[in-house]
Amino acid sequence: MSTNGLIGRAVKRVEDKRFITGHGNYTDDIILPHQTYAVFVRSQYAHAKILSVDTSAAKEMPGVIAIYTGADLANTNGVPCGWQVNFKNGDTMKEPKHPLLVADKARHVGDAIAIVIAETKEQATDAAEAVTVEMEELPCVIDAAKAVQPGAPLVHDDVPNNKSFDWTLGNPIEEVNAAMDQAAHVTTLEFVNQRLVPNAIEPRSYNSSYDPVSEKYTLYTSSQNPHLIRLLMCAFVLGIPEHKVRVISPDVGGGFGSKIFHYTEEALLTWCSKQIGRPVKWTSERTESFLLDAHGRDHVTKAEMGFDAEGKIVALRVKTYANLGAYLSTFSSCVPTYLHGTLLQGLYTTPKINVDVTAVFTNTTPVDAYRGAGRPEATYLLERLLDLAALEMKADPAELRFKNFIPPFDGVQQPGYQTQVALQYDSGNYEGVLKKGLEMLGYADVRRQQQEAANNGKLVGVGFSTYIEACGIAPSAIVGALGCRAGLFESGHVRVQPTGKVSVYTGAHSHGQGHETTFAQVVADKLGINLDDVEIVHGDSDSVAFGMGTYGSRSLAVGGSAIIKSIEKIIEKGKKIAAHKLEASADDIEFASGRFTVKGTDKSVGFGEVALTAYVPHVYPKDLEPGLDFSSFYDPANFTYPFGCHIAVVEVDKETGKVSIKRFVAVDDVGNVINPMIVEGQIHGGVVQGIGQALFEGAEYDENGQLTNASYMDYCMPRADDLPMFETASQVTPCPHNPLGVKGAGEAGTIGSAPAIVNAVIDALWSGGHQVKDIRMPLTSERVWNAMNS
Amino acid sequence: MNTRIQVTVNGVQYSHMVEPRLLLVHYLRDVLRLTGTHVGCDTSSCGACTIHVNGKATKCCTMLAVQANGCQITTIEGLSHNGDLHPLQEGFKECHGLQCGFCTPGMIMTAADLLQHNPQPTENDIRHALEGNFCRCTGYHNIVKSVLYAAEKLKEHAVVH
Amino acid sequence: MQLAGKHVLHAAPTRVWAILMNKDTLAHIVPGVSRLEQTGDHTYKSILDIKLGPVSGSFTGNLQLDDLQEPSAFTIKTQQNSKIGNANAAIAINLTPVGDNDTEIIFDGDVKLTGMLASLGNRVMGGVSNTLAKQFFSNLEKELDKEPAP
Repeated sequence: MSTNGLIGRAVKRVEDKRFITGHGNYTDDIILPHQTYAVFVRSQYAHAKILSVDTSAAKEMPGVIAIYTGADLANTNGVPCGWQVNFKNGDTMKEPKHPLLVADKARHVGDAIAIVIAETKEQATDAAEAVTVEMEELPCVIDAAKAVQPGAPLVHDDVPNNKSFDWTLGNPIEEVNAAMDQAAHVTTLEFVNQRLVPNAIEPRSYNSSYDPVSEKYTLYTSSQNPHLIRLLMCAFVLGIPEHKVRVISPDVGGGFGSKIFHYTEEALLTWCSKQIGRPVKWTSERTESFLLDAHGRDHVTKAEMGFDAEGKIVALRVKTYANLGAYLSTFSSCVPTYLHGTLLQGLYTTPKINVDVTAVFTNTTPVDAYRGAGRPEATYLLERLLDLAALEMKADPAELRFKNFIPPFDGVQQPGYQTQVALQYDSGNYEGVLKKGLEMLGYADVRRQQQEAANNGKLVGVGFSTYIEACGIAPSAIVGALGCRAGLFESGHVRVQPTGKVSVYTGAHSHGQGHETTFAQVVADKLGINLDDVEIVHGDSDSVAFGMGTYGSRSLAVGGSAIIKSIEKIIEKGKKIAAHKLEASADDIEFASGRFTVKGTDKSVGFGEVALTAYVPHVYPKDLEPGLDFSSFYDPANFTYPFGCHIAVVEVDKETGKVSIKRFVAVDDVGNVINPMIVEGQIHGGVVQGIGQALFEGAEYDENGQLTNASYMDYCMPRADDLPMFETASQVTPCPHNPLGVKGAGEAGTIGSAPAIVNAVIDALWSGGHQVKDIRMPLTSERVWNAMNS
Repeated sequence: MNTRIQVTVNGVQYSHMVEPRLLLVHYLRDVLRLTGTHVGCDTSSCGACTIHVNGKATKCCTMLAVQANGCQITTIEGLSHNGDLHPLQEGFKECHGLQCGFCTPGMIMTAADLLQHNPQPTENDIRHALEGNFCRCTGYHNIVKSVLYAAEKLKEHAVVH
Repeated sequence: MQLAGKHVLHAAPTRVWAILMNKDTLAHIVPGVSRLEQTGDHTYKSILDIKLGPVSGSFTGNLQLDDLQEPSAFTIKTQQNSKIGNANAAIAINLTPVGDNDTEIIFDGDVKLTGMLASLGNRVMGGVSNTLAKQFFSNLEKELDKEPAP
């Protein structure tokens, strides 16, 4: 196929103009005619019986239109979980109801007890304060490992030991134990991968309306996947007809996973809009976001890695308790299992691996996918073990990795790599990224500087992380076999207008990723037309056929491939039209640089003319339909497997324990790159979210289940002055199984960066004689200081 | 109970009766329908609501509309003139200083204040000036470059004129 | 949250005890009291106006003096509700004679917070409780100064 060189170019983003001039259109910017506003009455307790809810006084307040409680929704379903995981013994996971409003008891702080709808938000707020709720506080459980102990309070009365499921993957445990027993050295790490709050800067917002004449609902939602929300809400929660529901996700201000899930408020507002016959809007306040947007991570893990005398890894054994929070959020069950356990091969030839996961309910905010989702947890575990093992065995961490890397394979000449944990990697050159990283760093110099610093009483450390992830989610047949209750294909519809301009409808959703630019680059390149002649449409279930949305770094690998399929159909049909015009056989027509040409001649016709002919078919092949408009669905053959190498150099202040990042080198291989500027931007942002986990962030619950840092004043996120400029580079190992050869770049940075930072801090401490194995993230000055001085 | 306020926003005079508890950000967004100014928190921590009040960068999620009576206000919508982008707006586009765009208006307004009193900032000056604005997408790297770009652009402009 | 500390007062335990058990003086001593209404033996309904850093609020609830061991020990139990969250506390108070005419008050207890108090106020709670404790003792000293020692 032809190209005009748009693929691979750092084209400036077409969507920027509206954002830099203040003309973005986010859900909270929308006010509909006869708009009403909702405010929730929420539980202040982590675990409490609801004795009574009295709304009588509130109903009399000015402007109040309606108040609903759990009793009004007794016959309505809860929001579903989209992935079924089975117990080791084959039993189905425990999947208690997640109601839209709780009637019996609250299971985490923020659980919704009543919704108050009024003419203004202020009136709704006043009335919500007048709702009287009598509650009886119950003992609560916060920690996943404690929740499974006998006698722990039960979050759901019908879920024994708070266990949603237990799960294992890999080689039989006996084989792993035997290999571990034979190991010359075993490195053990027991650690917490702490709970994070995603914190997209745009709070979640919904605005739902109902038209009694057409009997049609319209929901504006700050979602990463509007069609998925429509499907779940119609089919599983409200039982309303899908063709009578339009879901629109306009501009969305960041998601990072937290806006994938179908939240109770979406369905409840939609239900309410019909009850009152007016549009209902709710926008989360920041503290509500902290209490309700699904959190990420929260694993308690013991991991052991065995090495032979030469430093080759011989076995890996992992036991994890995953905290699910109070309810199963949409994809929560697959995160600690199929997105975590399956990544424990890492980049290494480890022959024996076993992972065991127990997933537990607690009286906390539900936990689900947050940027990386399971893969950062897997990478953190592996990469911490490797750097620690190098320290313990007095080996060089880079050398130790070279010794254990899977050798390069392109997935075409050499087959994909079959792991011990169910996946088959597509293509990889793992030593390549580390070599490049070491060169960029000037490794020998940095180690020399570290030694000099140590001689001068300063603590400098170098930390490595060589990661892999599985994204481009996902082949439907494979995820279906693993319990996913949805297909994970994508749709791509290309409509050539009569004048040759092109509208593209994609089921992917951009909330910062820049699809309006990258997808347009792909289409313009393949059709040989100007970028300006392509418009990307997304986020509206009435204009886009279907879509699974954007998460798991899937948009280009899956959504882009669907568009390519439609483009191929357009060129195929275009050839027939051109052949008829040029009085040649379609087989003799070539398409290049926007022109259809008879092979070996100068007879040609332009793309625009062919488009016009398709819609004005006066002189036209007999058996061909008019029009030039194709829709395709693409279901990937495999996951894609980006990988990379992140290296951090830090200095630890001896007096205060403060960590400063001196350098951060990232070499990422995300396959072919459509727009290097956008990919680099994704890496920067991803890296900083990983740095945030390593040094700053963490949800802190007190023993009563109160989230004690539920505001931006209390929850520490990276700010501009906490960070250095980054040194980034890319390597390209194309994906062998999708037409663009792309792998995905959205999560890579977050997956790779956190262990590099923590490893660097640990290395710095060892350089000063403090042989510390682990410091609990985030590595605040206080924790680092305590680790040095204990 | 309601109070009359008179404000000039992006060069246009407005007069409205407002509730005393109405926040300035909601006045701009809901009354004037200037929705480029965003609300990311309610504690003046994220900076998405930054505008200029009498020429100074101000987080308007914790300022009452009545406090703005008699003030000159500039929002992101009023930053470009005659269709020409402000050098900062241009810088953010050129250097990929934005992704989801939600923090961008506040980020640009804060940076504009910086460049007013420090036209040639260093990387550190910029990082320090922007530490009251959260961006969750970009990692700040390209935002710093965007502001450097704008400073350079303004310098060229000053030389030409 | 743990709340503990001690303070020495220039008065004998019996005098301190008497002031703490008197409804009128108690209303002056507990910080932020805007109304204190006796509902039984050592049980009260209260309205408190308290500012805790970024959050301030009016609390309604009950206050109870329990486990009375005159004049050496008792427990303050209180449950306070407000729009910004609820506070639930049980604080054991011990009065120990020091020398001839002084009393050391040792307090130790647990405060449970919910709502905005927990999610936004927690960070400043340590400081606020110290301030409230200081106010409590300075108010108590003022009451002791009002009537000279017998």
